[in-house]
Amino acid sequence: MTAIDPLAAAMKTAASGLEVQSTRLRIVSENMANSQATATEPGGDPYQRKTIAFSSELDAVTGASMVRVESVGRDTSGFSVEYDPSHSAADESGMVKLPNVNILVEMADMREANRSYEANLQTIKQARKLISMTIDLLRVST
Amino acid sequence: MQPIQLFELASSQAHWLAVRQSVVAGNIANVNTNGYAAKQVDPFDTVLQSVGTSTAATHPAHFSEDSMRSAVRKAASDEIGAASNGKAVVLEDELIKAGEIRHAYELNVGIIKAFHRMMLATVRK
Repeated sequence: MTAIDPLAAAMKTAASGLEVQSTRLRIVSENMANSQATATEPGGDPYQRKTIAFSSELDAVTGASMVRVESVGRDTSGFSVEYDPSHSAADESGMVKLPNVNILVEMADMREANRSYEANLQTIKQARKLISMTIDLLRVST
Repeated sequence: MQPIQLFELASSQAHWLAVRQSVVAGNIANVNTNGYAAKQVDPFDTVLQSVGTSTAATHPAHFSEDSMRSAVRKAASDEIGAASNGKAVVLEDELIKAGEIRHAYELNVGIIKAFHRMMLATVRK
């Protein structure tokens, strides 16, 4: 019956933001870790870069706009090829397909995820501060 | 004797600030969401003056809406060529708003404290 405290809703929302940003960071680290992962069989496709999409989700009880991971997809852009006949993943013409991961793009993505994470953390800190200020009203002032 | 309205006023402003904080949190959480339009809360004086009508919860399964939530709306876009469904979230703006909220809340709590002390002084011997 009673509506939830908006400050608690703010903390919940920021927590959902933290969650999606950390998932994003995980995807970035997966991409970076696999930036040189080639196929196991000759001529096969290497690691395909992962992408992440977010969507806004209206919390039914609080009416706050939470955020959630909508989908983790695959980047379908083409692979770069390199001539390396001795490689185990090389096809008959000696070309090896390398993952379509661009480290620079991943780094930029990582920084952005970091910044967003910090902003969400700041929101949680502030909501907590507001709550404790209210509780401090109960303290007997001398 | 006139009834003292200050506590009610202060409490509704604190409520408004809390709703505003939750809206800022929502905007910040959705900063990387595609097509998300930033939300904002109506200024406090308009909220105070508007005689809100809200739907009553007549069944336990009904969601009860926060009375201040009706003041939340999409921010109007003020830039050319912005997304058609509203203004995109600007992280800096949201952080500035968060700072404003903190200041206003501190002031609010301080006033309540001072007023409360004053009332206590009248009953203390």
